[in-house]
Amino acid sequence: MIRFMSLHKRFGEKVILDGVDLEVGRGEVFFVIGASGVGKSVLIKHLVGLLRPDSGEIWLDDQEVSRLSERDLAPVRKRCAMVFQHSTLFDSMSCVDNVALPLRKHRALGHEEARAEARRRLADVHMEELADRFPSELGDGMRKRVAIARALTLEPEYVLFDEPTTSLDPISARRVDRLIRDLSDRLHVTSIVVSHDLTSIFTIADRIAMLYQGKVRALGTPAELRALEDPVVQQFVRGEARGPMET
Amino acid sequence: MSAFATRVGRSAITAGLQAADVYRLFARTLYYVFRGRRSRGATLEQLYLIGNKSLFFMTTVMGFLGMITVFQAGLQLERVVPDTSQLGASFAELLVRNFAPDIGAMMLATRVGAGIAAEIGSMAVTEQLDALRMSAADPIDFLVVPRFLASLVMTAVLVIWGAAVAEGVGLLTGWSVFDIRPGTFFNLMMVDVGDVVVGLAKCFAYGAAIPLLSAHMGLRAYGGSEGVGSATTNAVVASSFAVIVLNAIISAAGFLVFPQ
Amino acid sequence: MIAGAAVRAVSGIGSAFLGIALEVGSFGVLTARLARRLAPPDFDGTELRKNFYRMGVRSLPIVLATALFTGFIMTIQAGVVIGRYDAEGLIGWAAGFVTLREVGPILIALMFSGRVGANNTAELATMTVTEQVDGLRALAIDPLSYLVLPRVIAMVVLLFLLTVWGDLFALIGAAVMGEVMLGVSRHVFLRGLLDMLGLWDLATGLIKSAAFGLMIAIASCHFGLSVKGGAPGVGRAVNASVVAAAAGVFVVDYFLTYLLR
Repeated sequence: MIRFMSLHKRFGEKVILDGVDLEVGRGEVFFVIGASGVGKSVLIKHLVGLLRPDSGEIWLDDQEVSRLSERDLAPVRKRCAMVFQHSTLFDSMSCVDNVALPLRKHRALGHEEARAEARRRLADVHMEELADRFPSELGDGMRKRVAIARALTLEPEYVLFDEPTTSLDPISARRVDRLIRDLSDRLHVTSIVVSHDLTSIFTIADRIAMLYQGKVRALGTPAELRALEDPVVQQFVRGEARGPMET
Repeated sequence: MSAFATRVGRSAITAGLQAADVYRLFARTLYYVFRGRRSRGATLEQLYLIGNKSLFFMTTVMGFLGMITVFQAGLQLERVVPDTSQLGASFAELLVRNFAPDIGAMMLATRVGAGIAAEIGSMAVTEQLDALRMSAADPIDFLVVPRFLASLVMTAVLVIWGAAVAEGVGLLTGWSVFDIRPGTFFNLMMVDVGDVVVGLAKCFAYGAAIPLLSAHMGLRAYGGSEGVGSATTNAVVASSFAVIVLNAIISAAGFLVFPQ
Repeated sequence: MIAGAAVRAVSGIGSAFLGIALEVGSFGVLTARLARRLAPPDFDGTELRKNFYRMGVRSLPIVLATALFTGFIMTIQAGVVIGRYDAEGLIGWAAGFVTLREVGPILIALMFSGRVGANNTAELATMTVTEQVDGLRALAIDPLSYLVLPRVIAMVVLLFLLTVWGDLFALIGAAVMGEVMLGVSRHVFLRGLLDMLGLWDLATGLIKSAAFGLMIAIASCHFGLSVKGGAPGVGRAVNASVVAAAAGVFVVDYFLTYLLR
């Protein structure tokens, strides 16, 4: 279980998170939605210590993680993987080496064993034929799949997806959606997905939290969100240009 | 072996092609120096930027260089000939003919060269150069010429300033460590026409080579932040190496023209 | 008017010093954090080998060419003085002394900084702005021991080895130039070199080169990791890194000259 308790974060003068409280249960596909720049990515980066809160607490099961040292964060990061918005593959390495790296570092596998295992992982996301290519030679959708394979190598209990379908074509995007749903249904992996892709939101989300002006504006299942009368929420879920929302 | 030969051959061809590019850039730069329609303000601004950005750096490095040189020379002289009366005068000659222009230009190659390549390279990868061309302005006229002229002037100015700093710091070092009379440092007897000519020739050659090579690297940058990074790196290496090669050529020519 | 300019100049110098103090302080912090990962050794062997090879291949030709030209230049410059005193026997000593102790290590270090240090800054900076460094952290891999320490070790060892080779090439260049331009036979050159110089002259130069290597490596990694602001930021980081490394080389040289006399 993941719990954010009155999380505050500002960059200079700009307040990004202004007291966020959230609870994410085991095996859920939990969406964090909101307009660009509202602090969705900032929120999930706090969970793995890539950003530190100004105040507030973050609990991962029974451990408070927001004030851990870089060294103590290592076990947290192994349990809690992250797929970055731009995939963020290491561009000096081939795809297979990208996936093999965490295996080599954390499973104490040799080079060849790690590569063999990495190839199996790439096969899971249908990338085995392009395993020896370099990230710069691949399209966005393929890079995203490699990034997901890399995030899953250490068999994490939680996976954080930072806008996984942004900049993908619709077909790749739906494939990624299905992959996230499968993770939860088959392996009971908890996913936190930051997104503003309405199709993903209403096809695979178990629960949704909408961030607005640094706070959680709405929380609930897709059906509950649709039924809410809050004009800000309505504007977002209908994707309307006009409305009360300040962006 | 043949693989090695291929590699050498290929790099020779690349170097040759690049040299031709730089030569073309030089020719077009000279053309625009006389025919260009850029505003005068641009050159003045670059003069200020290059001078201002490098002054502190130059002062620090040349100050330390003065200390190091006098210190090493003093130590050796004490060992070989215990007469330190000539050190000041030789130091002045060494500075004018060699150290100030050579080391100074090496420093400017990193400071000014990297700056020019980073700036023009960033404009290249963010398509600002294309935008310039679309508004019928040649980037060489608008970007390269002001930097070329400014570097030509400022290299000489900064080198002379650097020589003065090194001389002053060297004087203090000699005086305080080896008890050398400060007056001997003002003995410019050994500095003759040959030294001054060689020193100034170096300033102009370096001052021209650094902006041209760096601009060349910046103009052909492509591919995001990596492209800017490698343009900047190449600019530093190319202009430093140009300084070293020009140094060898001009020193040899100077030695033949002004034998002692 | 004049008073205003003076105040501006003083405050400019003051803030420049503050800026430098800040950078020097962060060099120190980075060095300390890296040193802690040396005992017990915690760095990636694969990365070390890879960087060693890459950086070596990158810099060997330019360093040897630089060294050769340095030898030429030193002989010509010594020739001006030697010709005046008619002391041909000293040419080997003069060129050798200056090359081994000062000019060789410094010029090779400056070239190395331009070629390897700048490139390293560009790589690290690109990795930082494209979040690849955060990507490592998210995989629970320590960027300092995986990414940075192997590069620092490779750079220090490599510059040392390159200086050994560079010294050799510079002396060959000096001897050739002595014979061609000054008509000093290579035997006279060699005798002057061997009779008047000791191992210590070679050793001081090499100790310096290791220190320069550390200076360059720390500066280049620091500016690469602390980059801000996209592609232009990468250019600025490279610029700052080579400038700091060049100034740092002279400052370090001064103190080592004093310590190693």
